[in-house]
Amino acid sequence: MIGVSDEAEPPRGGEPNAKPESEPVGRVLGTADATPLQFWTAVAPGSYLQLDDVVVTRRDLPDREPVTIAGVVTQVRARHEGAQFDSDVFAIADGTLPAMVQEAAEITTTRVDPELYVPPAPGAIVHRASGETRDAALHFDRMERRVPMGTGRDGVPVFLNADFLDGTRGAHVSISGISGVATKTSFATFLLYSVFRSGQLGADGANARALIFNVKGEDLLFLDHPNTKLDDGTRAYYKLLDLPDSPFTDVRVYAPPRPGDPSGAPDVSGRLTGVDAFYWTLEEFCSAKLLPYVFADADDERQQYTMVVHSVTAHLNRFAVPAEGGISIDGRRIGSYGDLVDHIVDQLTDDETRSVWAGSAVNMGTVNAFARRLISSKRDLSRLIRGDLAQRRPHQIRTADSAQVTVVDLHNLPDRAQRFVVGVTLKTEFEEKEKAGTGRPLLFVVLDELNKYAPREGTSPIKEVLLDIAERGRSLGVILIGAQQTASEVERRIVTNSAIRVVGRLDPAEASRPEYGFLPPAMRQRALLARPGTMFVNQPDIPVPLCVEFPFPAWATRKSESGPPPAETLRSIVQSADPFAVIGGRAGGDDDIPF
Amino acid sequence: MTRMFVDAWDPAYGASFEGGDGEGPASPSSAQVDTDVEVPAAEWAPIGVPAAARPPDVVFLVDGVRRNDAGLWTAEEDGTSYAGLAASYAAGVVRCDLARGAAELVGARVGRGLFTASPSAGDLQAGTVRYEIHRINGSGEASKLPAAVQGPLTALEIEISSAARDGGSDGADLLIVDGPLRNRRQLPRTIGYVKTQQKQYLPAALTTVVTALRPGQRTPVFHLGTVWGGWSWYLRLPGASGAPWSGIVRVECSPDLTVEQAIELAHLSGATLPRFASASYKDPRAPQNLVPIAGLERRLRGMLGDSRVLHRALALATSRTR
Repeated sequence: MIGVSDEAEPPRGGEPNAKPESEPVGRVLGTADATPLQFWTAVAPGSYLQLDDVVVTRRDLPDREPVTIAGVVTQVRARHEGAQFDSDVFAIADGTLPAMVQEAAEITTTRVDPELYVPPAPGAIVHRASGETRDAALHFDRMERRVPMGTGRDGVPVFLNADFLDGTRGAHVSISGISGVATKTSFATFLLYSVFRSGQLGADGANARALIFNVKGEDLLFLDHPNTKLDDGTRAYYKLLDLPDSPFTDVRVYAPPRPGDPSGAPDVSGRLTGVDAFYWTLEEFCSAKLLPYVFADADDERQQYTMVVHSVTAHLNRFAVPAEGGISIDGRRIGSYGDLVDHIVDQLTDDETRSVWAGSAVNMGTVNAFARRLISSKRDLSRLIRGDLAQRRPHQIRTADSAQVTVVDLHNLPDRAQRFVVGVTLKTEFEEKEKAGTGRPLLFVVLDELNKYAPREGTSPIKEVLLDIAERGRSLGVILIGAQQTASEVERRIVTNSAIRVVGRLDPAEASRPEYGFLPPAMRQRALLARPGTMFVNQPDIPVPLCVEFPFPAWATRKSESGPPPAETLRSIVQSADPFAVIGGRAGGDDDIPF
Repeated sequence: MTRMFVDAWDPAYGASFEGGDGEGPASPSSAQVDTDVEVPAAEWAPIGVPAAARPPDVVFLVDGVRRNDAGLWTAEEDGTSYAGLAASYAAGVVRCDLARGAAELVGARVGRGLFTASPSAGDLQAGTVRYEIHRINGSGEASKLPAAVQGPLTALEIEISSAARDGGSDGADLLIVDGPLRNRRQLPRTIGYVKTQQKQYLPAALTTVVTALRPGQRTPVFHLGTVWGGWSWYLRLPGASGAPWSGIVRVECSPDLTVEQAIELAHLSGATLPRFASASYKDPRAPQNLVPIAGLERRLRGMLGDSRVLHRALALATSRTR
């Protein structure tokens, strides 16, 4: 049971905050209903309670052991007692009307131990919980593996139950909040960092992979660079959370090729080393049936031409033959995406070949609609689907062969190209996982703007993949960390499948939607003014969302604050060995066999 | 056309003066009144607050509240029956520190008594509450019992007001007692504050001075020669409707004081009391019911406890005695 100060509890061995010390802060109110799940506490003079404080009280029962009721402060109010009118405050401040300031705090119960749902008795002493009492109140003591995710308002670490993160009992994280202030991506990366470095997931944590899509700026391209703005306070913060204050160690960054660059150099401006270009060869485009992902807009699916898309995809898959990087189809060699589009459009507009490509029951209007969109995709996709670059050069995003953290930079890509990359990459990864048939190693997928990829209305190939991940990913070890400005616009099944829901600063209109029903009213109001770095985290085994503050990242988030890049990134992925390395000497961190 | 005024007091409380003809307090008092104390009667005129008079920084206000919790009947051995009254009463002191801007309850005490003439009745334990027996003399008709509560209440008020001042006055403070001073006159620097005017103490010629008072002004001090008499003066509080007798209170102080001391207290009351006057939309007895007193009464009534709970506890307790 949860320890209350009036009884001596044997301290649990070895815990850093094992000493149960709790101070009385007030008494349970009798003027408002006290229920087993919610009650009010009058705050004693000279004490205070703030939102998110953890308190504990006890109820003695006849012929039974006492019930300990622990909870979190969800609302605090102060008022003048003895005043009847609003203007009485002037008389009170003037010193003519006697009145008393009384504070009261609403407590939402988090734990009842033993599970006997009786209300606390009005007048019962309420203690501030600390140490193991606090851990018990927040169910941390029942968590076998606790992933630190920051500190509470009281500056003491709060944890995430790893069982709900790695698929043991639940998976997926949904993060909502206004862009820019809600620090969604920062929290997602910090969570990943905590998973990788806290050691709570054991071997799973060390072996886990992460696939991060960078959609805005070059924020996430410096994950392996130390942050030069890290101060002692932040270092102490990391120490408090029992985490090292270093950047991510094993990061590989992929960026799309520079447009118009025949050599396929990655299109990044901030990060200059350790970036590889990703692209798909025309041969892969045809054999892996990637054409539907060109039409990955939800609007596309409603149109008639989807059947054209599928028949063309099938045709390409069947008849395209690899030829020196490009493909050969119908006896023609095609060396670029533009050429391929032109060829397809030619064939479809030609009355003789149309039925071969698109089937017989397709009318001209549908074909034209398809052709129009296909032609418009040339500009967006020609840099990603290549026939002119070396096929054998590593260019595919595969987390299994990549580093622990794979960052895919999308921020330079137009919308259609972003969808294509996300769709194809996720599909490939998920299929790999399906083939492997095992849930390990874990793969964390961080995807921002989920409302774009899996909108509530309509359907698209990407949405299908994301739904698959949300519904089956848990058993396959694919964990989706999705972020969005508005959870109400994301496919409901994806949101409901997320075991962990995180909310940063919310838009007022958005906050009132039922998707945020897990937030108590007071917290919903607070979410409207949450500062950057403050998140509300709801996890299944704690009935109240926790207000979490997480530390400033130990890794750089922009060029200006980045320290020296790690040695390994100075070596390009294209070269499997460092040409400057002395044979037998230690190059970078790896111990390559020199032959 | 006759000008008319609505009395500011809630009708449930009666009027701030009891009169039949609307001219002021009805029954002329038989008391001997000496009106030549401050100025000769012929020179009576409203007196404003002198510029030199500074209100005290600390003002104590004492008040008591009472409530009849239940009426009882005893059944004596010999078959007779006596009326009984279970009453709760409380007295408290508010210390208004005007310099600091804080009004606080410095003392409050609750008493509960069983008032009856029954020779056999004892203390009554009703739930967690004990009603002490106050045996009264005489036949003890039910109608006389409520008056008997006043004695213990006044005693409680005296006790608590001397305790609030830590046994003495610092020479600059002021203690305001709600109601006539009566036997509380031994308290130093104390004035009695009479809200309702039932007796007309002044001769008719001087009454016009009272009705001519403007807010904050007072009449000259006069001396009442009654048993509980003493130095007294009328004062008009601000916020009154403008009716001749509206907002008029009578203030009195101990007859043991010298004339000079009484006049000083009169000046002091003129500087202090208007500040405490209540507003009519907040208080049914505005402006006479002073803001601190109203707040104090609310607190004291809260301390008396819930009357329904006590009534039930009494009913339960008495049913066991049968």
